[in-house]
Amino acid sequence: MDFDLTPDEQAFSDEVDAWLAENHDPAVMDPTRENFAQLVDTPERRAFMKKLAAKGWLGMTWPKEYGGQETHGIYEFILNEALSRVGAPQIGKGVGIIGKTLIRHGSEKQKREFLPKILAAEVEFALGYSEPQAGSDAANMQLKAVKVDGGWVLNGQKIWTTSAHFADWYWVGARTDPEKPKHDGISLFLIPMDNPGLEIQSMPTIAKDTTNQVFFTDVFVPDDYLVGERGRGFQYISEALDLERFTLYTLSPVAERTRLLIEYVRSASRDGVPLRKDPRIRARIARISTDTAVAQALSKRFVCAAKDVHGKPPTAEASQYKLFSTELGQRVCREALDVMGAAGQLREGQDEAPLRGRFEHAYRATAIDTLGGGSSEVQKNIIARRHLGLPKNF
Amino acid sequence: MDLEFSEEQRLVRDMTRAVLAEHCPLEVVRRMEDDPTGYPAGLWKQIGELGLAGMLIPEAHGGSAQSLLDAALVYEELGRALAPTPHFVSCVLAARILLEAGNEEQRSEWLARIGSGEAILTPAWLEPDRSDGPSGVALAARPDGGDFVLSGTKRHVPFARAADRLIVLARTPAGIDLFLVDPNAPGVRLAQQLTLGSDCQYRVDLREVRVPASARIGAPGTGWETWSAALRAGIVLLAAQAIGGAERALEITVEYAKTRKQFDKPLGAFQSLAHYMADASTRIEGGRTLVYEAAWNHAQGRSIAKLAPMVKLFACETYRDCTRVCQQIWGGVGFTIEYDIQLFFRRAEQLHLSWWSPASLEELIAAQDLDA
Repeated sequence: MDFDLTPDEQAFSDEVDAWLAENHDPAVMDPTRENFAQLVDTPERRAFMKKLAAKGWLGMTWPKEYGGQETHGIYEFILNEALSRVGAPQIGKGVGIIGKTLIRHGSEKQKREFLPKILAAEVEFALGYSEPQAGSDAANMQLKAVKVDGGWVLNGQKIWTTSAHFADWYWVGARTDPEKPKHDGISLFLIPMDNPGLEIQSMPTIAKDTTNQVFFTDVFVPDDYLVGERGRGFQYISEALDLERFTLYTLSPVAERTRLLIEYVRSASRDGVPLRKDPRIRARIARISTDTAVAQALSKRFVCAAKDVHGKPPTAEASQYKLFSTELGQRVCREALDVMGAAGQLREGQDEAPLRGRFEHAYRATAIDTLGGGSSEVQKNIIARRHLGLPKNF
Repeated sequence: MDLEFSEEQRLVRDMTRAVLAEHCPLEVVRRMEDDPTGYPAGLWKQIGELGLAGMLIPEAHGGSAQSLLDAALVYEELGRALAPTPHFVSCVLAARILLEAGNEEQRSEWLARIGSGEAILTPAWLEPDRSDGPSGVALAARPDGGDFVLSGTKRHVPFARAADRLIVLARTPAGIDLFLVDPNAPGVRLAQQLTLGSDCQYRVDLREVRVPASARIGAPGTGWETWSAALRAGIVLLAAQAIGGAERALEITVEYAKTRKQFDKPLGAFQSLAHYMADASTRIEGGRTLVYEAAWNHAQGRSIAKLAPMVKLFACETYRDCTRVCQQIWGGVGFTIEYDIQLFFRRAEQLHLSWWSPASLEELIAAQDLDA
């Protein structure tokens, strides 16, 4: 047992930290965007990702034959934690979900077309799983794909496609076989985001970032852009979701919130009395600090279980980590606002807001964290069934 | 980073589990409830013979000098089995106090015998209506000639009847000191206190109890430092014990939830109950990993001033909360003495309250975050 990074892992972590310090750029790094900071949604952020690519930091876990280095998953974990700590965009959908799924299940043509672009940070993807009637019940997706000569015609709607307004390609689940059981009738497609049949509508959120819904009208997709086997789409999505929990919900933003709250309590005072002298506040800090350490432990447990990229997917470890850390991430915001009292409500950016309203915005922005990537309740169902062996409960 | 145990560590865990299964099944645990000695002789003998009693004692004193991480594995098993033993008070706390602060004579008199299980030493710490911090130690040790004379009352002294010596925290002109006191000495009165967890605790009244200066452990005024350092390392093991207990309580409850049916469905098919169990399991796994991290850091010689109170607070609260929902899932039968879940439920809260209360642990953590 060893809770420290190995010398190689530590050297990599140090290298990443030093590189991030050298390349510090407020236009690219904005931790106040909370979980939205991972998006590669501006030209500056795209340029930043190309620099990461040039360092060889994209696709590190991929097989060598596809341009990877076959490292353990812990290197991607170290990189993503460091990126999210400073609010930089992360390696996420492309390297993780889409790249890894294409490597396992894609055609030679798809691999040749997309994998080099992913490694060079020349392509951004949007994910299209959720629909108005397919939220937690993701397998209920109804977007219709009808077979025609040479391809498929898609009609319907997707929702919560956060990257739709800047991505190049759309990774979409659609129902190709409506007569089959719902989990077996879905296939995955790749569609250029500028397809004229796609209409993107922005949906402003309670955070400062936006998401989108996307309408499909007679969108033609050639046969070559159906991924893997017809009807296996939901299995591919589930397999990749274990990886998404790993890359899309890093712990650094939660740990940073805890650090900021402690720093605030250490420096602020009320009626001339330092907040840190208040026994009620001290008890709250002890709890938050403890739970943050537990979340860190769960993340270490998860990353160690995920180390072997060819091994069994660490489903329970992923769910337990995601459940605990996202619930905690919200709780840190609530505790911080409670500690601030009335001043806590001042909107982000206002001069008089404590910490310039960082927690006012984080309180809003983190509301999505216990929903996206599988809600807390879905995680509990997964833990109950796959970890404890309890019967299906819904 | 690598969170796997070594082959050797797994063997120790398996051996401990096997010994406990044979010598400490739940019938034995039940038989020991409220017992004035408080531990089964057969089990204690095995713990001594297998080297578990001496696992934290240096080889020079006949022990095997294992790390806190190795001990944490054993404590998880003790927790799973609800094993009533004086291991914690004697082989962990007393051994550590003597090692850190005892003189050569005290060490050679006691350490080997503690490590074989032959002698039992137990701390006498808490006092009526006083806190578990240094200001709570009021029992007076008055210098008199070359001796000290101790007067006052201690509570929550585990296994005092069976103990060969008490280690009494007392107030002297120098501050707080630790004294070795024979529980059978004139002026010492023991009265068993019945507890929530039906373990073996005593109220100890000392009336003009005279001990020689050589009974003092460590330099004058260093008692609290010695005691709190021993307890700080020790509570990591109690956290491991709590995790073991919570894990076992959840296991038997999950099995029950798979078979017991209501409304034609197994209980585990009700989402409200399944989610209780999923939450409990998440907290157990998080707590367990953090316990290992604390124990591992201690084994590396690093400070665990913050991690130790964190793991005690989190693990014991997890145990308490987990057994509460287990009681709920077992339903009415869990309320009866006959079913086993209540054994865990009562011990969980007792462990949570003991060896630094939740509020004291919070303060130890907050001091690290806010005052350091």
